[in-house]
Amino acid sequence: MTCEDVKVLSADYWSHTLDEAQELAFETHTASCEVCRAEVERLGALWRSLALLPAEEPSPNLRSRFYETLAAYRQGLESAPKPRLREKILALWPKQPAWQMAISFALLAIGVGLGYEIRPGKTAEPAADSELSQLRGEVSSMRQMVALSLLQQQSAGERLRGVTYAYQAPPSDTEVLSALLTTMNQDPNVNVRLAAVDALHRFGSSPVTRAAVVQSIRKQDNPLVQIALIDLMVDLKDEEAAPELAKLAGDEKIDSAVRQHAKWALGRLQ
Amino acid sequence: MSTSDNALMAEVSGGQVGKMAVLFERHHRPLFRYFVSMNHNRELSEDLVQDVFFRMLRYRSSYDPKQSFTAWMYQIARNASVDQAQKRKAEVVGIDEFDGQRRPEPASQAPGPEETAAKGQDLALLRRALDRLPEDKREILVLSRFQNLKYEDIAALLGCEVGTVKVRVFRAMRALEQIYLALRKEKTA
Repeated sequence: MTCEDVKVLSADYWSHTLDEAQELAFETHTASCEVCRAEVERLGALWRSLALLPAEEPSPNLRSRFYETLAAYRQGLESAPKPRLREKILALWPKQPAWQMAISFALLAIGVGLGYEIRPGKTAEPAADSELSQLRGEVSSMRQMVALSLLQQQSAGERLRGVTYAYQAPPSDTEVLSALLTTMNQDPNVNVRLAAVDALHRFGSSPVTRAAVVQSIRKQDNPLVQIALIDLMVDLKDEEAAPELAKLAGDEKIDSAVRQHAKWALGRLQ
Repeated sequence: MSTSDNALMAEVSGGQVGKMAVLFERHHRPLFRYFVSMNHNRELSEDLVQDVFFRMLRYRSSYDPKQSFTAWMYQIARNASVDQAQKRKAEVVGIDEFDGQRRPEPASQAPGPEETAAKGQDLALLRRALDRLPEDKREILVLSRFQNLKYEDIAALLGCEVGTVKVRVFRAMRALEQIYLALRKEKTA
C-alpha cells in the first residue's frame, strides 16, 4: 500500500468499513510511515469529534405542516377523475421508447417521401444550408412528436415523461404549448398537471400562456395546482393577473390556503 | 424487520402516498440537519425539508426502485436548495456587496501544531471551522459524517467515482483541520 492509497482509504478506515485484509494493509503501512500515521490519527480524531457536534432539531411545526400537505395531496388524488375510454385506446401506443422512436421515424420518412412526391413541380437540388435547416427542422419535429405522443399516454408516468420532453421544445412551439395547456387543464392526474404548470415557465413569454394560466385557476379543483399556478404568475411577473388574484383572495368558496397564497402573490406583483 | 426506504418509496410511487409519512419520520431530521449545515438558517431549512417531501410526492412516478432512495432524496434536496438560493439571490441582489466582512476568511496556511487535535477539542470551535469550510467540502463531510450516506450514494449524487468521493472526504478533513487549528491559534493569541 502506498501513501496515496492511504488517502483514498482513510475515510473508510475512520468509518470502519474496510474489510479485514484492507485494514491490515492500511495499518501495516501507517505503522511504517510516520507521516501517514500522524495525519490519519489527527484527522481521525477530528472525524470522531464531528459526531459529537449537537444535532439541530426542527420545530414541531415542520411535522404538522407536512401532515397537512400530505392530507391535502391525498384528498386531491382521491377527487381526481378515473381514466377515460379515449385514454385506454391511446394505451395501445407502444410503451417502449425504442418502438415509439421507430414508429415516429417511419411516419416522418413516409411524410417526407409523400411530400416530395406530391409537391407541385420539380425544383433545383437544395443547397447545403437548406438541407441543414431541413434536418434541424426534422429533429425539432421529432422531439415535438415524442412529447405530444407521450402526453397522450394512459400511464401518468409516461405523461410525466412527455412533459419532460416538452422542455426540449423551443418556446415558439405552439403545438407543444397547446398540448401542455390541455394537460394543465384536463389531465386526470394531479402530478402531471403540476409538472405541466412547471414546464410552462419555459413558454412564459407568450401572451397565450399568461392568459391561459389566469383562466385555468378557476377550472382547477386541486389547491396544490392552484397554488402552483399562482407561483407561476408571480414568477412570470404577470401584472395582468392581479385582478384575478384579488378576486381569488376575497372568494370564500376557495380553499383558505389558496386565498392566502393569492394575497401573498398580489403583494409581490404590486 | 422494517420495510426498506426503497420498498416504501416504490409503494408511494405505486399510489400509496400515505406511506410517505414513514419516510418523513425516518428522514426529516437528517434532511433538516443537512440544510442547516449548508445554509445556517433554521426557518429556511424547514421550508426546504417541506419542499423536498412535496417534490417527492409530485415526482413519485419518476422514482426508479432500483435506484437508492437516499441518493434520490438528496438529489432532490440539492435541487431544492439550488432553486431556493437562486430565488433568494434574485430577491437580495446587491446586499452582498455591502456584506463582504461576513464572508469566511480563508484558512491559515501555517503548518499545524505537532500536538494532536484528538483531546480536549472545543466543539464550538469545530462547529465554526465546519461553517467556514468552502461549500463543496462542507457538503461532502455533512453527507458522509452526519447523514451517514454510503460513499456509493454520494458518488451517484455528485456524479463522480467512489474513489474520488473518498479522496474528497480526506481533503475536506485536511481543510477542516487547517481552519480548526487557525481558529484555535486565534483564540489563544
